Amino acid sequence: MTNLVVAAVPPRAQLRRLAPAMVSTIAMFAMVAVCASLQSDVLTVTGLTLILSATVPLVIAAQAQMMLMSVGDIDLGIGNFVGLVTVITATKLVSSPGTGMLFLVGLVAAYALLGALIHLRRVPSLIATLGASFVWLGLGLFVLPTPGGSTPTWLATFGSWAPAGFPAPLLPILVASALVWLLASRGSVGVRVRAFGSNPVALQRAGLSPLAARVVAYGVAGALGVLAGLLLASQTGGGDVSSASSYTLITVAAVILGGGSFRGGNAVPWGVAIGGVTLGLVSVVLSLLDVPSNMQSAVQGAIVLAVLAGRVVVGKVLR
Amino acid sequence: MTLRTLARPWIWGFVASALVWATILALSSQGGGQTVSLALSLAPYLVIVGLGQMLVITAGPGNIDVSVAPVISLAGFVAVAATAATGSVAVGVLAGIGTGLAVAAISVLAILGLSIPPIIATLAAGLIASSLTLSLADGFTAVPDEGLRQLLNLRPAGVPVLAVAVAVLTALVVALLSRTTYGRSLLAVGQSRPAAERAGIPVARVLAATYLASGALAGLAGALLAAYIAPSPDLGTRYLLDSVAVVVIGGTLISGGRAVPVGIWGSALFFILLDGLVNLVGWSTAAQNLLKGGLVLFVLFLAGGGTRRDATTSRPRRRPRPATAATAATTTGDNTHG
Repeated sequence: MTNLVVAAVPPRAQLRRLAPAMVSTIAMFAMVAVCASLQSDVLTVTGLTLILSATVPLVIAAQAQMMLMSVGDIDLGIGNFVGLVTVITATKLVSSPGTGMLFLVGLVAAYALLGALIHLRRVPSLIATLGASFVWLGLGLFVLPTPGGSTPTWLATFGSWAPAGFPAPLLPILVASALVWLLASRGSVGVRVRAFGSNPVALQRAGLSPLAARVVAYGVAGALGVLAGLLLASQTGGGDVSSASSYTLITVAAVILGGGSFRGGNAVPWGVAIGGVTLGLVSVVLSLLDVPSNMQSAVQGAIVLAVLAGRVVVGKVLR
Repeated sequence: MTLRTLARPWIWGFVASALVWATILALSSQGGGQTVSLALSLAPYLVIVGLGQMLVITAGPGNIDVSVAPVISLAGFVAVAATAATGSVAVGVLAGIGTGLAVAAISVLAILGLSIPPIIATLAAGLIASSLTLSLADGFTAVPDEGLRQLLNLRPAGVPVLAVAVAVLTALVVALLSRTTYGRSLLAVGQSRPAAERAGIPVARVLAATYLASGALAGLAGALLAAYIAPSPDLGTRYLLDSVAVVVIGGTLISGGRAVPVGIWGSALFFILLDGLVNLVGWSTAAQNLLKGGLVLFVLFLAGGGTRRDATTSRPRRRPRPATAATAATTTGDNTHG
């Protein structure tokens, strides 16, 4: 009997670790099921392409948010940052691809620099990224005061790419999540980043640089933010600095839904993908239900509360 | 003495606003007093929201109220509608405050009942509030009360009545923090939640009161703003970022446990004067945002050493970070069950 209990402990512990993501997974499948029951075409390749495409930039931006949350920071500037990337994509990347690329690389470097300054000056990431969000917004308005522009042909081609066998939006979601998983959960870089998040003193005592860990996390977040912006621009076909402003807080919610925490120290790329898709599907379900779009944010809020309440219940059952 | 005063971070808000004021003075023919008077009539709204945000941030790592922006917008509509329906300004303002309390009650239930991290709980409550705002805004016809608007515009001897009222409110908050059991408890919870719990402080009650206070203050600001400008769905939008920024530039510790209500005035005046300066020079909103963001970052990185003293005197303690124990509620909840 005791042997049985002992044998049952590791899976149970693992179960407890995976429980948050499981609740979100159930929520995601429930959303898809609701869509499918309302409109049976949803389960075809075209249907899935349509409902998933809106969630792609959100999922990638949520991965960026997760990188910062894995070091215990919060990024309140990611929404405007993604918006700024769409603006640069719609203007500079079209007129002079070389300069445009340079700008985008510069933005990633700016993120890494922000991380370095936050670390060296010991300032709260919440405020620093808040300040940076004004800068991203300002730069975006400076480059393109009113929404517009066009996307480079290669990006537009990717945006309208529709392979026969599987829904196209799944590809960027899966590839980006896999890359983040390899980097943050499997690679040695990820170990350092997560170690910094859970115990910076221990990282330092181990002879590794906390500064480098933080800069890497911010750099990766910046790169993911650029990717999210490129994909958003490929879908909207233009640039608008405020097109992604809601991402700032929704990405935090997606990370929490996916099983991440504010304490830092863990990376949950697959959970984040699920959380992001769940939140992104809200608008689809509501439009299928003929609910006025006014109610969209209320439903998003209610889903976040419901999923987290579900997690509390599951957590108590597993104990 | 002078050096110690300079080392206090809240000084920077006042220094910065004085610098901006001097620049405006140098650039415009407008009298310096008039500029201050105008800034004093706009800053109080930000100060009211900032005071609530400050109380929440003081409650410790991870505590933040991101529902202030939607609450302000919603309270604006509710207050104007209630005033129009009953004909009484007091009922309207009270309805605005009540709206803030109601939204904050959702956050409190989620934070304490479901152990949800505050940023997510207030985000969810805010999302619900913003949906209600959009529904209310459809076909909204009531107009703000003229009497209240005149009162808010009243500036005897150049000093806006509202500024005096909010100064009194600030003094009350100072007294609340230093003289009352609630204030002392809040500071204790912010400095160390486990220690406060062991000392027998009713942490849950203190947190609930704090979020309700923030909601009520945001509601009040919304009711007044709607009368001063006009109710609109994005009446409160700028107040989320601004309220957090003024609190922190004002010298309140983002990691909690130290509140500086007076500092909010300095940084709020700085923000308002900066807007005035940018309008005066005729810069675009792009430049306005760039300047605001750049200055926030500059002040932050410059004054960043302010917390260094804390970090060096207590070496073994972990560097205060904003989000380290954001899920404190979750952790403690887990521990009691485990």
